[in-house]
Amino acid sequence: MSYKIAEEGNITTIHLDGEIDMDVVEKAKEVIFPHIDSGKEVHLNLSQVQYMDSSGISVLIESHQKALEKNTKVVIKDVSKSVLKVIMMAKLEQILNLE
Amino acid sequence: MSGIAHLNHSEKKAFLVNSSSLKDVRSFCRDVFEKLQIEQNLKDELVLAIAEAAQNIVKHAFKNNAAANELMVVQISCENNKLQIAFYDRGTPVDPKKVKHREIDNVKPGGLGTFFIQEIMDAVEFKDGNKPWINHLVLTKQL
Repeated sequence: MSYKIAEEGNITTIHLDGEIDMDVVEKAKEVIFPHIDSGKEVHLNLSQVQYMDSSGISVLIESHQKALEKNTKVVIKDVSKSVLKVIMMAKLEQILNLE
Repeated sequence: MSGIAHLNHSEKKAFLVNSSSLKDVRSFCRDVFEKLQIEQNLKDELVLAIAEAAQNIVKHAFKNNAAANELMVVQISCENNKLQIAFYDRGTPVDPKKVKHREIDNVKPGGLGTFFIQEIMDAVEFKDGNKPWINHLVLTKQL
């Protein structure tokens, strides 16, 4: 997994790239969580993520819940078809902020 | 059911029991499913189910602490359009009664892997592992 981060005002956009599985979840958390903890609105761009397993889905849930605690939000943007299918299988499309 | 007659075919491969093997497990599955001419959507689902089962071996049967040379074996077989995926490992014996996913409406991190496996596959069965194996999980799906 690789990533790119862009900051504009109070919004941090994190572009993730590659496959997100158990092997890279700790790295994903290290990339995402500090931005949520700082109270910023975080946009996760998943257009280049072609595979995500239950560990990756857990990172999305944890990010969402962490953002609620910090009175901010995580927006998941440009989800690839394959990842959207997994999000829907987990019945999270109404829970997570998808754009 | 797909309506396509898939090849009768079987392949197995051993992987080290660690999280960095999961991408190799997925790669192996994709290669085999390519040979079986399984369509992309179903292929994606099957790869997810298999990778989740392999992840459970790493995470639960070995508690993320397998010896460096510890192996698990994944075998994919297709016969008469019935797909069977077998997993063999030497981790802590699995009690099938304790294998359950979290309530899907209780949204929290974790507990989804088994749910995905059960959603995707027709049957999930733990069989007795013949020596040297301890656990023998079999997933099946009619193609």
